[in-house]
Amino acid sequence: MALNLLSAAGTIVSVVIGVLAAGFVVFMLVWHYVRKKQGKGGCGCGCSGCSGCSSCVPKKKKPDEK
Amino acid sequence: MEKKLNEFKPGERGVVKRIEGEGHIRRRLFDMGVTPGADILLRKVAPLGDPVEVNLRGYELSLRKAEASCVVMEVK
Amino acid sequence: MLKFALAGNPNSGKTTLFNTLTGSTAHVGNWPGVTVDKKEGTYKKLPEPVAIVDLPGIYSLSPYTPEEVISRNYIIDEKPDCVINIIDATNLERNLYLTTQIMEIDVPVVVALNMMDAVKKSGDKLDAVKLERELGIPVVEISALKNEGIPALMERAWQSAAEKREGSTVLRGSALSHVIDDVKIALKGKGVPSPLFHAVKLVEGDELEVKNHPDEVAMVEEFKEQFKDDVFEGDFEAMVADERYKYISAHFSTAFVHAEKKETFTKSDKADKVLTHRIWGIPIFLVILFAIFHLTFGTDLLYLNTISGWFNGGAGFATDIDTGNEVLSAFVAVFYTADGISTPGAIVFNLMGFITDQIGGLIATGLENVGAAAWAQGLINDGIWAGLSGVLSFIPQILVLFLFISILEDSGYMARVAFILDRAFRKFGLSGRAFIPMIMGFGCSVPAAVNTRTLADEKERIMTNRVIPFFTCGAKAPILAAVCGAIAAQYTGVNADLLVFALYVFGMAMAVIMVAFMRQTSMRGEVAPFIMELPAYHAPQFHNLMVHLWDKLKHYLKKAFTIIVASAIVIWFLSNFSWQWQMVEMDESILYDIGSFVCWICTPMGFGVQWGEYAWVFVVAAVTGLIAKENVISTFFVLGNCLAGQALLDEGSMEGWQAVQFLVQQTGISWQGLIAFTVFNMLTIPCFAAAATVKAELPKGKFKFTVAFWLITSYLTSTAIYLIFTWWWTVFIVAVLIALAVTYFILRNKGKINFSRKNKNRAARE
Repeated sequence: MALNLLSAAGTIVSVVIGVLAAGFVVFMLVWHYVRKKQGKGGCGCGCSGCSGCSSCVPKKKKPDEK
Repeated sequence: MEKKLNEFKPGERGVVKRIEGEGHIRRRLFDMGVTPGADILLRKVAPLGDPVEVNLRGYELSLRKAEASCVVMEVK
Repeated sequence: MLKFALAGNPNSGKTTLFNTLTGSTAHVGNWPGVTVDKKEGTYKKLPEPVAIVDLPGIYSLSPYTPEEVISRNYIIDEKPDCVINIIDATNLERNLYLTTQIMEIDVPVVVALNMMDAVKKSGDKLDAVKLERELGIPVVEISALKNEGIPALMERAWQSAAEKREGSTVLRGSALSHVIDDVKIALKGKGVPSPLFHAVKLVEGDELEVKNHPDEVAMVEEFKEQFKDDVFEGDFEAMVADERYKYISAHFSTAFVHAEKKETFTKSDKADKVLTHRIWGIPIFLVILFAIFHLTFGTDLLYLNTISGWFNGGAGFATDIDTGNEVLSAFVAVFYTADGISTPGAIVFNLMGFITDQIGGLIATGLENVGAAAWAQGLINDGIWAGLSGVLSFIPQILVLFLFISILEDSGYMARVAFILDRAFRKFGLSGRAFIPMIMGFGCSVPAAVNTRTLADEKERIMTNRVIPFFTCGAKAPILAAVCGAIAAQYTGVNADLLVFALYVFGMAMAVIMVAFMRQTSMRGEVAPFIMELPAYHAPQFHNLMVHLWDKLKHYLKKAFTIIVASAIVIWFLSNFSWQWQMVEMDESILYDIGSFVCWICTPMGFGVQWGEYAWVFVVAAVTGLIAKENVISTFFVLGNCLAGQALLDEGSMEGWQAVQFLVQQTGISWQGLIAFTVFNMLTIPCFAAAATVKAELPKGKFKFTVAFWLITSYLTSTAIYLIFTWWWTVFIVAVLIALAVTYFILRNKGKINFSRKNKNRAARE
């Protein structure tokens, strides 16, 4: 009985691991694709440590109001 | 007596008489304060002989000898 | 929301003030050109929040470098509600030169007199009230570093932003005042904003102005015809500059009282005497550079063990210590091994390795106890944790390297090194100024590429951007450390840190050589001028250093837990599954097929088909390196663990380093191939992030040549290295080929020059 539970737990854990791993990879791909479309990202530097990588900050349109 | 800045030895000082040369170098020299009437002291020469370090208007500026040769100085 | 812009000379304290006002952690360095793009934040302590923009440092509003164009255009086009002009009070005259120009624009200006603490310390006196009276704009004393005077400054900025201000000029008393007025009236009539500013610039002959207002140029030319003067001979540019400084000297020097003649040597001067010494300057620099690498990668502190070995005829005093307890022995080995006393870099590396080993063990046991399926255990242990731990274990060591580089940057020493090396750089076609972004490349290529904006000459910028990846970045460092460590372990008498240092130097040498090459081919031209301020030395600020390190740590951790983990999962999957989605041994996996298919390309470089069955791991690792250079190590760990796992089955386990060594042994690659592999990774296309940044910094169309440049250079160089180190006689063939190429280019250039001179003479005679 206990053995069955353990193997069931093992299977659950395994499935969870597998799903998380696959999902993680997919998430990373999608996320980077989205960021690229927005024109951001690439270095993940956070700009404050980067002496101003303007290739990170998306070009803003001219502000209409002050 | 006139002397070009690139001919100075470390420790020599003088007053800028005029700037020869043209374009960007000239513009840059002005912006950095190398204008007629400025007091310049040659601090030192780099280990390899070039560039030189000058003291003017309270700060240190580095110039190549080629650029310094555009600066005509008046020395006592 | 109101917008305040911070403008001023480089190193006047703008970014420090920006950080204080906005609470950001923007990087502050001590060499000209730290800020190369505008940065924005918010100040929240006034009745309403105000946007603060930190502009790159400029000496004048006549732009000389691209970063100066950014500042000028921002003030003129974006029309901030107030310009806070930060002035380094220890350097008043040159700073005021910019102030006189900013004042000519129709915008409220407030002067922040910074570094007043340094002024007071040196005993000088500066009368801010007098300065305010003379300038006609508010002047507030502050110390951005000590956070003094800031609220008062912002109050006055707030007040002045409420009133419109018309530009005023210090040239009103000069001989040029009439033509300036005339042009100003003409521009005002056309509705041009800030007519006074544009008028003065036109009189100076500023190129941008001349382009935009051709009609007024005629007015200036007319005036020039009539104007007679001996001193400047119609050079208005010089006249204006001269007038500004004359005004500054006459009016503002009275506000400034020197304690004594400023010829006494400050601490900074004393340090400088040694560090830029005529004879010792360069040796000292080389020693400092070597010391940095030794303290980061060495395993024998100060070579004490090796040296004692010389006196003992072989063996040094160090031995491995066995305490009987496995864990304790491992812990002791962090600090002291048979190699010697560990250097700081080695200590943190070993410590991290120790920690990841322990954690790895816990994870593995945990998974086993829970009864997870074999494949799930494999995915976590040999996939995710293998790759992740491999990368994590290097992070502390890389941070140590970063720390040393940051100290170099923050102290102001870098500008001096550029000064020392300029002549040497010039022989290869660069100005010493290019040295600064290159050294930054030892940290990360991305900010280094951005920093090239401070180079005035376009060709120099392009060349520097192309070779920045040759300066082995923090992510590539683990590759060097790992390979050199492996070689040192196998062959006695080889010091890992010397080998690493040699490789780093090789990277630098390649950069220099390729620049020289480019100068002879596509980037022909004169070397850019080198007129640069040498800021005073600064003891690096502890707070600043820590912030910088913390930033880098966050960055690397984020990268590790996202990109590296994702890549490791993919690699694990591809190397453990066949095309039919069945879990198999590695030699039937998808990756095996793909890898073996392409690895023949790498054969000339020494890591291809010649090593048989598992040789493909190298090309796979190199390719994963395109996503992030840490992936090269991570891939090795994943594949090594997978292979070790299936090879040993239930007989014990092999993880981490042992697994990688096992993998390398399985391929049977020679040390020459390993070195060639390392060199290839050092010189080839950098990670996507760096490549994208370089692309953004290059003019249109140059990027594809740059990619080709990286590929061809790395391929040819690695091949040459492999061939020469394996079959020493090939060095003659390579030498002959190089000599032929060099001769060809020199002759071609000489020929070209003669050709055009002939044409010039012909044209002159006509």
